[in-house]
Amino acid sequence: MITFSNVSLIYPHSTKTILEDLSFQIQEGEMVLVMGETGSGKSSLLRLINGLVPHHTGGILAGDISVDGISTRTVKPGSLAHLVGIVGQNPMNGFVTDIVEEELAFSMEALNFAPDVMRKRVEEILDLLSLSSLRNRSIATLSGGEQQRVAIGAALVMQPKVLVLDEPTSALDPIAAEEVLSVLHRLVHDLSVTVIIAEHRLERVIQFVDRIIYIEGNGETSIGSADEILKSSELVPPIVKLARALNLSEIGTSVREVRRATDEIRSRQYPEVDIASKADSPAIEVKDVSHSYGEKVALNKINTTIHHGEIVAIMGRNGAGKSTLLHSIVGLHAPDKGKITVNGQDPTALTGGARRQAIGYVPQEPSDLLFASSVEEECSHADRDNELVAGSTAALLNRLVPHISHNAHPNDLSEGQRLALVLSIVLAASPDVLVLDEPTRGLDYRAKSLFGLALKEYAMQFNRPVLLATHDVELVAELADRVLFLAEGDIVADGTTLEVLLSSPAFAPQVAKIMSPKPWLTVSDVVQALGDVK
Amino acid sequence: MKKPLHPLTLWISAILLAIGVVALDNAWIALAIVGAVALLVFARRDGSPWERSFNLSLRIGAVILGIRTIVGILIGVPIPGSILFTLPILDLPSWMPGIRIGGAVTLERLSSSLHEGVIIATMIALFGAATSLTSPHKLLRVTPSFIYEIGITLVIATSLFPQLATSARRIRTAQKLRGMENIHIRSIAIPLLEESLSRSLQLAAAMDARGYGISRKRSRYRPQQWLMRDNVIVLLTVAASAVMVAR
Repeated sequence: MITFSNVSLIYPHSTKTILEDLSFQIQEGEMVLVMGETGSGKSSLLRLINGLVPHHTGGILAGDISVDGISTRTVKPGSLAHLVGIVGQNPMNGFVTDIVEEELAFSMEALNFAPDVMRKRVEEILDLLSLSSLRNRSIATLSGGEQQRVAIGAALVMQPKVLVLDEPTSALDPIAAEEVLSVLHRLVHDLSVTVIIAEHRLERVIQFVDRIIYIEGNGETSIGSADEILKSSELVPPIVKLARALNLSEIGTSVREVRRATDEIRSRQYPEVDIASKADSPAIEVKDVSHSYGEKVALNKINTTIHHGEIVAIMGRNGAGKSTLLHSIVGLHAPDKGKITVNGQDPTALTGGARRQAIGYVPQEPSDLLFASSVEEECSHADRDNELVAGSTAALLNRLVPHISHNAHPNDLSEGQRLALVLSIVLAASPDVLVLDEPTRGLDYRAKSLFGLALKEYAMQFNRPVLLATHDVELVAELADRVLFLAEGDIVADGTTLEVLLSSPAFAPQVAKIMSPKPWLTVSDVVQALGDVK
Repeated sequence: MKKPLHPLTLWISAILLAIGVVALDNAWIALAIVGAVALLVFARRDGSPWERSFNLSLRIGAVILGIRTIVGILIGVPIPGSILFTLPILDLPSWMPGIRIGGAVTLERLSSSLHEGVIIATMIALFGAATSLTSPHKLLRVTPSFIYEIGITLVIATSLFPQLATSARRIRTAQKLRGMENIHIRSIAIPLLEESLSRSLQLAAAMDARGYGISRKRSRYRPQQWLMRDNVIVLLTVAASAVMVAR
């Protein structure tokens, strides 16, 4: 279906080769994962398939790519619209109309399909993706998972043979991600659609894919079955890490396989580990907080206390009220009812330097805080703001990510580097409380573990609380002491990470699913427990 | 889901009412119409991003009313009547005859300025209401295809505006939370510009990939139908504006 022969790609004004001499074939009805660190060229590879690269972005392409026998070199991306459907990283940025139904019909209108054909296909897609109830809704009012399904539907109405998706689940909660992935799985199996998908959270997709294309950076690429690639790659999901740590002979990609291989380990007896509870010294107190937007209740009489030195994760589905709670805590808005105090202060009353020192906040789009034209300028600005010795922020940044180019424009940094920059700017003020809104979107495993270490260090060293809203179950398992689980504006679970994650099948991390009912969440938990027994 | 009216119905009504308001030139009736329209907008809102355009048009109207009143008081032909207060008269060179800045402010002068401002604000509010009830995107769907071609380009250009406003607000709050109290135009403009640029590129790429501009002709999905109630509403507004013009 797709043939790459000796493809190399380089962007003008760049010394880095994105792809070098890449050759592979993808058959009809295959599901292929493209993995690699951020900035390694995954998106470029995906966009080569329908010719958006280089027709739309520029760049020098050598070799040839053909899709269903058509060379992408000779035709415009639009002429492949009936063959290749592409769904971008942020579906909201690719929507052209504002109503679900019209969005689905857009491609067909552009290609002058007859109205009765359009009607029929739109109905089919609405049914296939269970979008019927949303057909007249304004796209802006849909949840993230629904938007992603609309974007997939808009590509599928053309009945393409190939569907290309760039990080389709990165903004979704685990349940919505599962919905999207099961749709893809069905397309592959029932309709023989070829699916190419790029994703950082391997744990979510690995069980569905047939083959992996691993872009190792520096132009090298390897292609093979999931088992082959994961055996040697640096980027691996927890399930493979576990297999490596336990020296299993086979690497499995599904929970079922690895469960079978670890029967013996689970059947042993282990001493019970009690979790030391943190000292009782309240830092953030939330009392009877309610908030609503119009008729929609976002928070419903929330009561909770966050203690010093605690890392607390706020989890829940999209729209459960996580962001509203964070916004209330950082003082973005006063709640309709109830009271919030951060170390005894009212967060809405804070301004300027006092605010920086009381609450450090990393927003959902970290780049919102950046405006200077170089990393160095950003750092020195933070130094001046916080009356620090020149170079303090830069030193902090260097500890988080060494080898960052200080002359680089913040926009040219990778996601992980940009997050590190924002984090060091926020931490430069040495805030009493650190609050982060979905910090790990688009981060690869390496960047994520560096980031996790930085947060842990901050919480431990200064005995200060960290509060983060996230969908990333694996991150929570590694990092958090406590989890608040929100649903429809209520706290439905509040307890240690172990209790909360183990009790919810959808939000359980991979290791917990494999090792259930043993109380282990991460690979290191398992290794430690095994070590204790020996 | 309430079945929407034909987009043209609302726009025709808005235009007819605007003509009526200008012809009748009565501030009280104009205000009453704004009130009625506000009720209508409130009743028919559907949560789309365009629905805020009515609020925006009210705000723009208020600003215009303010400016119109101030300018009307400061500059212009003196209207005799009961004097409220007197402003110092600015001496102007002799080559600017007939223009006077400052001077006596009479009740009549104030009310005539206010009156004109209200009429202008009403017209803006009427079009704001039409926009918030049927998004321009919907209106474009019923235009003839030669306009449609230009129109879709405009749609893409304009669809960035509401997003721009949301992004600006988001960036501003994020920076406030960083403790940056003073609004530096640069610190908002730069992230905003970067974001909207990359967004437009993404949109262009998405449209490209979906076959936009490949076929010379476009077809229409589910053309909007003109129903009896559209006739009724248009006839009613024609009658109303005819009465207002005839007076």
